[in-house]
Amino acid sequence: MNTLEEFFHVFVFFMAAVLFTLLPIILAYILSPRTKGKKTLTTYECGIEPFGSAWIRYSVAYYVYALIFIAFDVDILYLFPVALSYTKGGRMYEFYSVLIFIVILALAIIYAWGKGVFTWKRKISQ
Amino acid sequence: MVNTIREKIKAKIGDVEVTEVSYTEKGYHLSISAIKRNLLPLVHFFDEHLFYLEDICCVDYVEYLELVYFFNNYQSLCRMKVTLQIEPEHPQAPTISHIYDGAFWYEREIHEFFGVVFENHPNMAYLFLHDGIEFYPLRKKMVLVSDEDKRLLNSFKVEVEEDTFSVNMGPQHPSTHGVLRLVLKMDGEYIESAQPVLGYLHRMHEKMAENRGYLQFLPNPGRMDYLGAMAFNLGYVTTVEKLCGIPVPERAEFVRVIAVELNRISSHLLWIGAFLADLGAFTPFLYVFDDRENILDVLESITGSRLTYCYFRFGGLYNDINESFIEMTKAFLKRMWGRFNIYENLITKNVIFINRTKNIGTIDQDRARKYGISGPVVRSARQPYDIRKVEPYAAYKELDFDIPSGEQGDNFDRYMVRIREMEISLRIIEQAIDKMPEGPFRTEKVPKKLKPPKGDVYHTVETPRGELGVYIVSDESDTPYRMRWRVPSFSNLIIFPHLARGTLMADAVSILGSLDLVIPEIDR
Amino acid sequence: MGKRGFHLETKNLSVKFAVVEKILNLARANSLWPMTFGLACCAIEMMAAAMSRFDLDRFGAALFRPSPRQADLMIVSGTVTRKMAPTFVTLYEQMPSPKWVIAMGNCAISGGPFVFEGQYNVVEGVDLLVPVDVYVPGCPPRPEALLEGILLLEEKITGKRRFPKPEAKW
Repeated sequence: MNTLEEFFHVFVFFMAAVLFTLLPIILAYILSPRTKGKKTLTTYECGIEPFGSAWIRYSVAYYVYALIFIAFDVDILYLFPVALSYTKGGRMYEFYSVLIFIVILALAIIYAWGKGVFTWKRKISQ
Repeated sequence: MVNTIREKIKAKIGDVEVTEVSYTEKGYHLSISAIKRNLLPLVHFFDEHLFYLEDICCVDYVEYLELVYFFNNYQSLCRMKVTLQIEPEHPQAPTISHIYDGAFWYEREIHEFFGVVFENHPNMAYLFLHDGIEFYPLRKKMVLVSDEDKRLLNSFKVEVEEDTFSVNMGPQHPSTHGVLRLVLKMDGEYIESAQPVLGYLHRMHEKMAENRGYLQFLPNPGRMDYLGAMAFNLGYVTTVEKLCGIPVPERAEFVRVIAVELNRISSHLLWIGAFLADLGAFTPFLYVFDDRENILDVLESITGSRLTYCYFRFGGLYNDINESFIEMTKAFLKRMWGRFNIYENLITKNVIFINRTKNIGTIDQDRARKYGISGPVVRSARQPYDIRKVEPYAAYKELDFDIPSGEQGDNFDRYMVRIREMEISLRIIEQAIDKMPEGPFRTEKVPKKLKPPKGDVYHTVETPRGELGVYIVSDESDTPYRMRWRVPSFSNLIIFPHLARGTLMADAVSILGSLDLVIPEIDR
Repeated sequence: MGKRGFHLETKNLSVKFAVVEKILNLARANSLWPMTFGLACCAIEMMAAAMSRFDLDRFGAALFRPSPRQADLMIVSGTVTRKMAPTFVTLYEQMPSPKWVIAMGNCAISGGPFVFEGQYNVVEGVDLLVPVDVYVPGCPPRPEALLEGILLLEEKITGKRRFPKPEAKW
């Protein structure tokens, strides 16, 4: 199988994914009625006008969580081809090298745990 | 106790008139008429002697306005009524909110309903009413709101600061147990300040009372607190009976106790479901409604309604109970005793529940006194104060029960106090069924249009949420001159901004749930 | 307030597909998602209708959504006061089309027992604010009455009634 055929498979998969997300939106646009009142496009805040804007300086605790998530998300991406390559016959040497990779990543989590990123105090004094 | 207080007041503050009145007729022990200059020393005196603020209300006698303060003591019953007369044009009075924190909201309410400006009060903005009501609603004559008062009333502004943002936990929210709006100023996930805005369900019960006869007003108390409607009904009916001197036969007293206790169990059951739904657990909601439907079947067989009962009449009940009611109640009791096991295994021993409720929302005793808290909330703060024991009404004098109290005053204690109260209610019902005498269920010859004597009366009952006080001022006509409802959820909610400061938002939601509020009774 | 004060433009499609509309209406009627809009006493009967004894789930309608963006049925259970009215209209407008309103209880239909001379805070009937599809009277209506209201709404959407109407036997 030459590479053009393989790319064609990927292209079909990509188009199916795009169509899967866009088709309900197109169908809803064709088939359903649309309503617009004075307050339809405002932000929902339990029926009251929201105060101030949404672009504010928010707390750093959320940022640290997001940072850790992004770092480990990228690591998961690395592990996908590893999982696929196990079906093509594996040796113990490959398993141990991936294990060392994961242990080094886990050290980062243990550091964050020790630094207290994952515990939030129940009550802060004012 | 009453005499010692009277001597001490006379000794300390010279120029007050202290009259002793008959407690069984009026509902309070001493009537003290103060003037503006000695109100604050009097209130300081009550604070030193550990009285709690029960109620502040205002009555509009057309030549003057009268502010009525009620103080009471948790340890020994001693209810004081302090009256202060102020002039009707541009009325002003000193504030007591720096001594008793609970007075903060009572004074705001009096300001927007009567127009009384309290000097040095930190915040006189709208509490119940809203922009667009151009007069003071509860005055007898139409008095328009002046422009500078309008500026005071509309002075609620949300400050936009740099590190914090303000979020609405609005009227339409699954966890606020009704239409309560909280304006939360948040710093990240922690709450810096929580300000409740009330009045989204203000249905003018107190104004309606002045336009309706005593018998016509009977359906209204049930709509105020729809979960504990029997207790509200009982409070109203007992107050009017006290005012007019109508006797009640013994059989009716025992049936009243059974009905109120069944209602108390159903209200606490719904509270368990709603509280746990706030914490995220949906299963107890289903179990709880199953038990509740049993109680509603039992009560529907005698009253005819499922939710907003109107079963008591002046002098007794609407109709008598029959054998099938007793049998259904006994079957329910037998079933309910077996159900506590389920709740214990599902909820009380649940690690997640314990971690989410222990040491959250701790109330200490002195704070509870300053805010006038009552009901299971104050019983969880190591203060076993229950109106059924302290001022017995209906048939509670002849029944034997004890009062649960908690150790720490946190959410878990409030949950345990309510579970134990349900068990105690079951025992009360068993005793009442055994001791019930035969006899008539209603006093004959109670006129349809009541003509009560002139005067005022105050009576309290214990609803599932706390102490309900009804204060009726009558002027010998067949409609009340002023009816004031002192509802337990109002004074229980005042402590919430203090408890929620500095907590995580999820913990604040669980504190709000554990206080067991029913918003229509706050908004009246 | 009044019907004249309420503006909502609805754009329907210029082309309608008959069979597709029928299937869509059947789907919409059998999967109504109510919004939690319990204001007062009727809210407890609405909750009881969604629980084990009077099961709303068999009609597909017990998935209560707190957010109006995900709901298509608004069961107004309780009194709407003048302070609540702007919030109420905002929430109605924030619901996407197609949407329906059930006015549950006497207070939502016409102000209920709180209308007296000199009243200043109760909106006498929710249909002064939003268009209402089904009225369920009672104070509070029994959960069976709310179920009948939902069946009537399904009949209004699809044209056919799911269960036959019970005959009065006395």
